[in-house]
Amino acid sequence: MSEPAETTETAPTDPQTARALGFVRTLLKHMQMDAEVALAPDDGEGEGDEIRLEIEGPDAGRVIGKRGAVLEAIQYLTTRVAHRPGEDRRHVAVDAEGYRARHEDQLAEMAKKLAKRVAQEGKVITFDPMNARDRRVVHMAVKDLPGVRTESQGEGPDRRVQIIPVKG
Amino acid sequence: MALKELIRAIAIELVDHPDQVEVTEIAGENNSLIELRVAKEDIGKVIGKEGRTAQSMRTILAAVSTKLGRRAHLDIVD
Repeated sequence: MSEPAETTETAPTDPQTARALGFVRTLLKHMQMDAEVALAPDDGEGEGDEIRLEIEGPDAGRVIGKRGAVLEAIQYLTTRVAHRPGEDRRHVAVDAEGYRARHEDQLAEMAKKLAKRVAQEGKVITFDPMNARDRRVVHMAVKDLPGVRTESQGEGPDRRVQIIPVKG
Repeated sequence: MALKELIRAIAIELVDHPDQVEVTEIAGENNSLIELRVAKEDIGKVIGKEGRTAQSMRTILAAVSTKLGRRAHLDIVD
């Protein structure tokens, strides 16, 4: 399956990564998007054994969609397809032109600012509903800050993260 | 036809019985109705937890049909 080494991409050695990559490639083709997918370079940003894919090309904007909705859908389906029953679930992260990375940086920054306010004013702040990944970004951004803790409330698509003051 | 093949390409990767995936497209002038049929035991796989898999397919379908200047509706037939 490995193609000639044109890019810095390393050939996927594990079946989940190979399935994820193959699926996104097929999907982009059927979506008639002028865009390519590759393994994201290992820049230390990934967590654990996360599968990270990066889409690039003239149609990247369409691949991302309004507020990242299309990218989110691609990532969700890719996670489903990458895993066979009984396999350990690995995070699958699909980004396009750095969109998700920027989005997560901004979210983490905002969470830190809000956490400061929560600690000062002693009032709970509740975010809009977010997917698991974004909630995790908030939890991680705030976890080492003094005077606050985080918690997720609600079920399914309504699940929201809260930043809660702690007396210290 | 492109929309039908898009849904088929996704569905066959999601199910246990890809040979039983059937996709039909009823195309009007600007609209398409895509009907997806899968094996009974695979229906949950194409709908997903809280309908998220179906929702994801619809999001992608909408993006592509918009690009083609059409509207498309995905119906999962059970």
